[in-house]
Amino acid sequence: MQFITLIHTDEAPWETFSDEEKEGWYERYRQLMRDAEAAGVLAGGHELASTRDATTVRIRNDETLVTDGPYAEVKEALGGFFVFECESMDDAVDWAARIPGAEHGAIEVRPVHVDPEEVQL
Amino acid sequence: MKYAMLIYGDDSAWVDLPDEERAALRTDEMPQWISLFEELRRADPTVSGKELDGRNTAKVVRVRDGERLVTDGPYVETKEILGGVFLIDLPDLDEAIRLASLIPAAKDTGSIEIRPILQ
Repeated sequence: MQFITLIHTDEAPWETFSDEEKEGWYERYRQLMRDAEAAGVLAGGHELASTRDATTVRIRNDETLVTDGPYAEVKEALGGFFVFECESMDDAVDWAARIPGAEHGAIEVRPVHVDPEEVQL
Repeated sequence: MKYAMLIYGDDSAWVDLPDEERAALRTDEMPQWISLFEELRRADPTVSGKELDGRNTAKVVRVRDGERLVTDGPYVETKEILGGVFLIDLPDLDEAIRLASLIPAAKDTGSIEIRPILQ
């Protein structure tokens, strides 16, 4: 089964970090990716640009409304995610707990929906 | 530029439906999604997508002072929840906006958030 781990963290402290501090965090993320790859569970992962670079699209009464910014202002914004191939939710939670962002933010773990009868993208 | 299209909607009514009604709704909506998938593939043959299971399947994990805290339910401060994501390589934001507006879930109370992916 695939599980997505959604990394929610406060963006404000990150923007105050020096390049060295950022690199320290990035190295911890890279180490996690190496470990997950070695364990054969890493199925994807991406870092998203800041919510400042977000654009939100809505259709209301057949009209397309485009606004700058995220769909909602939340304190801990989605900043990226990993996809893990795991046997169970418990295993996915173990990997989620190893994500550096779990120490200061929140990691939401969700099963990826798969229906072999349906057309997938 | 590679973009993530994050599909947010209120799934609270959806997850409470009896299984047969939810399956019937999916079947009704499927042709719209299939034509969207075709349009996305025309724009980027390498496009990929993930649909997430409902809010009742979510867990939230935090680690504080070395201790793991796991709670049921999604991480949300809003009624809307992330229901799926498309990853797609496009020439520019205008094209991303055009394609996002074709996503059936952009209607009603839904929102599509477009975020560049950092390389």
